Amino acid sequence: MGKFHSKSIKLDIFNLQISIPVNKLLFVLIIVMFAFGLYLVLIVTRVDAEQQMAQKIFYFHVPSAWSMFLAYFLVLIAGIQYLRTQAEKWDRFGLASAEVGTLFCALVLITGPIWAIPIWGTPWSWEPRLTTTLILFLIYIGYFMLRQYGGDRKQIGRLSAIIGIIAFIDVPFIYFSINLWAESAQAHPQSDMGGQPTDVLGTFLFMLLTFTILLSYMIRYRMHVLKLDTKLTELEHGI
Amino acid sequence: MLSVLIKKDLLLEFRSKEIVVSMAAFGISVIVLYALGFNASSEEFLKFSPGLLWMMFLFISVLGLHRSFSIEKEFDAFGLLLSAPVSRSDIFLSKWISSFLFLLMSQIIVLPIFFLFLNVSIPKGWLLCILVFLIADLGITAIGSLVSGVAMRVRMSEVILPILLFPLVTPLLISVVKCTHGLFNGLLFEEWKIWFQIMVTFVLVFGVTGYLIFDYVSEE
Repeated sequence: MGKFHSKSIKLDIFNLQISIPVNKLLFVLIIVMFAFGLYLVLIVTRVDAEQQMAQKIFYFHVPSAWSMFLAYFLVLIAGIQYLRTQAEKWDRFGLASAEVGTLFCALVLITGPIWAIPIWGTPWSWEPRLTTTLILFLIYIGYFMLRQYGGDRKQIGRLSAIIGIIAFIDVPFIYFSINLWAESAQAHPQSDMGGQPTDVLGTFLFMLLTFTILLSYMIRYRMHVLKLDTKLTELEHGI
Repeated sequence: MLSVLIKKDLLLEFRSKEIVVSMAAFGISVIVLYALGFNASSEEFLKFSPGLLWMMFLFISVLGLHRSFSIEKEFDAFGLLLSAPVSRSDIFLSKWISSFLFLLMSQIIVLPIFFLFLNVSIPKGWLLCILVFLIADLGITAIGSLVSGVAMRVRMSEVILPILLFPLVTPLLISVVKCTHGLFNGLLFEEWKIWFQIMVTFVLVFGVTGYLIFDYVSEE
């Protein structure tokens, strides 16, 4: 129960029984993929003629944004499932996704201005996508505060599921209205990925895959810790 | 049943007058602070007035929404309401409609003072203006009632409510400010039609969401 590496792949090589825990394998895979990703980003892909090295942050910025949206989408799914079934695993799944999603949300908010300083000469210019991310970040601060003050576990689960659902329904409104509002703001660096050369596109897709695997690993790990946490509380209260 | 619930909210308010009076008083104080804090000429003010106006309305609606839901907490009225043979979605609709009416009433008091103190001229297309205000009020109170219902269940609800509501309501705030800007500056409806459409969609989406989801908010 206490170990995260619970499921294993059993191999039988020349009568030698080897069992490799899936999570450990995934962890090693992520490290290797990130190392290879760094090699691709820094050495293989071309240096952009206009933006020079600053463009390289795009390989981390966009996959972070993708991971954030994916995680928040999972919060929506978990919320709907929790309201339907009342099963605690969906609450844990929702909370874990919200936490990891907000971490990636923060990464988007940090990497965006880092890129913008040399390119636009200012860290913050109310660019629509970054502004949408900021508003999502604020909504999720409220989400975590709600969980903090929420009362018993069932009620916290229900109320935060509702906020997770409302937040996701609000995303198209936020994005559409801010996009329209900031028509004067500068365009984002890369909008048409289809027209990009193979090295740029390939590296981008590789980083996207790496971040997605990292996201799933982090959510699983966080769920595991949350489960232990619940067990601990139950033991403390003698349930 | 819905009409009974609305009647209950309105009757409570007519007897105590605490929600609308506190909303209007707060609104007027904010206007006075705007006037003293900005010290701007009326032309300069015309540029910012739609934003300031709706920010003030947002502040006073939080005040009203919180009060309208916390009344239910006193003497465990909400628990009794839940045990009554009332559909929970009707509870949402009644709260939505009554907080909409409270916001409207306080706007009727506050708006003339806003125009007077800040030297903003009353827009010509006032019929359209009323329509914009009604839809924006419906939007603020739709999502506001839903979020208040959630916030009311936890400790520190007065802090949680604005923290959750303000970011969620940003699309509506942007849209209504753009519409009001169009109205105050006499722009053609065509020029800000899109913002009007966003507002209407927002009201419909969050009205329906609240109606469907409020069952879970009020679960014991």
